[in-house]
Amino acid sequence: MELLTFISGIIREAFAKKIILSIFIFFSLIILFIVFAATNESVAGMLTFLEASGGNADYTSAVIYFESNITSKIPMFMMIAFYLIIVSSFIPSMLQKGHIDLLLSKPISRTKIVIGHLLAGTAFSFLSSFFLLGIIWLIVSFKTSVWHIPFLYSILWFTLIFLVLYSFVIFIGLLTKNTILNILINLILFFPLSWIFYLLNMVTKKGEQFFSFNAATEFVIKFFYYILPKPWDLADLCENTIKQEALSSVQPIITSVLFIGIMISLSIWYFNRKDY
Amino acid sequence: MSVITIENLKKEYSPKSFSKNKILALDGVSFEVGEGEIFGLLGPNGAGKTTLIKILLGITFPTSGGGKLFDRNLNDVKTKSRLGYLPENHSFPNYFSGEQVLYHFGKLGGMSSEDVKRKADEYLNVVGMNEWRKIKIKKYSKGMMQRIGLAQAMINNPDLIFLDEPTDGVDPIGRKEIRDVLLTLKSQGKTIFLNSHLLSEIEMICDRVAILNKGLLIKEGRVEDITSTDSFAFVTSELNNEVYNSLLNNYKAVIQGKTNFLVPANNLDEVNKIIDFLRSQNILIQSVSKEKITLESKFINLIEHKL
Repeated sequence: MELLTFISGIIREAFAKKIILSIFIFFSLIILFIVFAATNESVAGMLTFLEASGGNADYTSAVIYFESNITSKIPMFMMIAFYLIIVSSFIPSMLQKGHIDLLLSKPISRTKIVIGHLLAGTAFSFLSSFFLLGIIWLIVSFKTSVWHIPFLYSILWFTLIFLVLYSFVIFIGLLTKNTILNILINLILFFPLSWIFYLLNMVTKKGEQFFSFNAATEFVIKFFYYILPKPWDLADLCENTIKQEALSSVQPIITSVLFIGIMISLSIWYFNRKDY
Repeated sequence: MSVITIENLKKEYSPKSFSKNKILALDGVSFEVGEGEIFGLLGPNGAGKTTLIKILLGITFPTSGGGKLFDRNLNDVKTKSRLGYLPENHSFPNYFSGEQVLYHFGKLGGMSSEDVKRKADEYLNVVGMNEWRKIKIKKYSKGMMQRIGLAQAMINNPDLIFLDEPTDGVDPIGRKEIRDVLLTLKSQGKTIFLNSHLLSEIEMICDRVAILNKGLLIKEGRVEDITSTDSFAFVTSELNNEVYNSLLNNYKAVIQGKTNFLVPANNLDEVNKIIDFLRSQNILIQSVSKEKITLESKFINLIEHKL
């Protein structure tokens, strides 16, 4: 009961701060762009591109290729960065003097408060991704008559990617109590740090024919690659799912879930010991 | 029955700079608050009053020592459904209206939707904010915020209410209304823990007080005991020179005027001896009363002597 009230309070805050309205406008613009972009001509262009790449392409695979481009790394980065910027104020706002005192005097444990933030973030990310990607899927499907259900799985991938980064937003928010610092640290972690180590890891795996790192450097690369969030690897897996291919690796899922678990555990541990 | 028990409570804050010493906010504070009491916590700025309330509510953790609320440990979350709290400088989300504040914090306090609506109607009337209930609180004055804050502290029908400077920013009529609300709550058996700088108000409504200074508990007891003295005040008919000199020399009286004086006396026998003397001198006695000082004077004396 108290947890639900707490979560509804966060959602109400999102409405009051015009966060939901901003998302609606931003996503509507993206949808408008897709309305104009998803034409038979653009699918035909994809088809030509696929045929030129040497594949046995048909109209359906061109549509799927078009859909996988919508959820590729650059649009994903823009969407997640947008999410992060707008949700980074939630924790610092809760920690404001006079507000946190009242909250902690209520019969809701500090652990539940952290979990409540995570659940609110999950609901927020899932529903907004559902709105954006669901409508995009409907537009593309109506225009092309290809009803490719696996595209909708990208909603779950986006939610997971958001959660990985949001768990870090919660932790940094509790540590710094500062929205701007929270946004900066998270954007640096998300891009370029995780991006650099994603690329470096790719190089260590695939670039042996060109050059190789020494053992110590490779260890450092692997270390940071495994401990940092992996939004880019998850985006690759999202593409695998849309294209109905086998997942290239389940390791990013396991390490991402572990990352969420560690960040939330650290947040709970820290929040349960902090004086306000 | 003790509602609050504090034993040897100590709180040290670590400074942000390494060169500075730790700040001792509370230094071995112990006391108890009984059921149905209005208990006042006094002290100059930085004495540790708010820290003490925050420790009792589990907002801040003690360095050592501890306490109990309703015989349960301080960090027991379940106990909090029996508590109400009005923090100093509270900050409600400014996108709420007055009634939304009560709904939100009432439900966070574990109340059902029906109960919270019923109680909100009741307490908005009690604090005189019914007309403003639909208005966003960012439009409220300081005094109105305090009234809504007080209603919020009472919404879950708590058995123990912590109020940190409840009349801050409230006009004299509003202060009187708040005092009346507190006395009504007391008559309902609620325990009230009050932290205020307004000593005259504390004196008017508190049963017992504790005075903190620099983290130390320097005085604790009933308000009457703290404000009473060892002197009796006499008001009489006009004193003649003989009586005047006798009172000065034999009874160590402090003459305050031609018809009134103070006499130090430890018991009623001594007071009656003075009455007998006055009557033997044909002096008419208008009144005899135990001399009191205001809580404010006592507070200032205590703090200045300890500083």
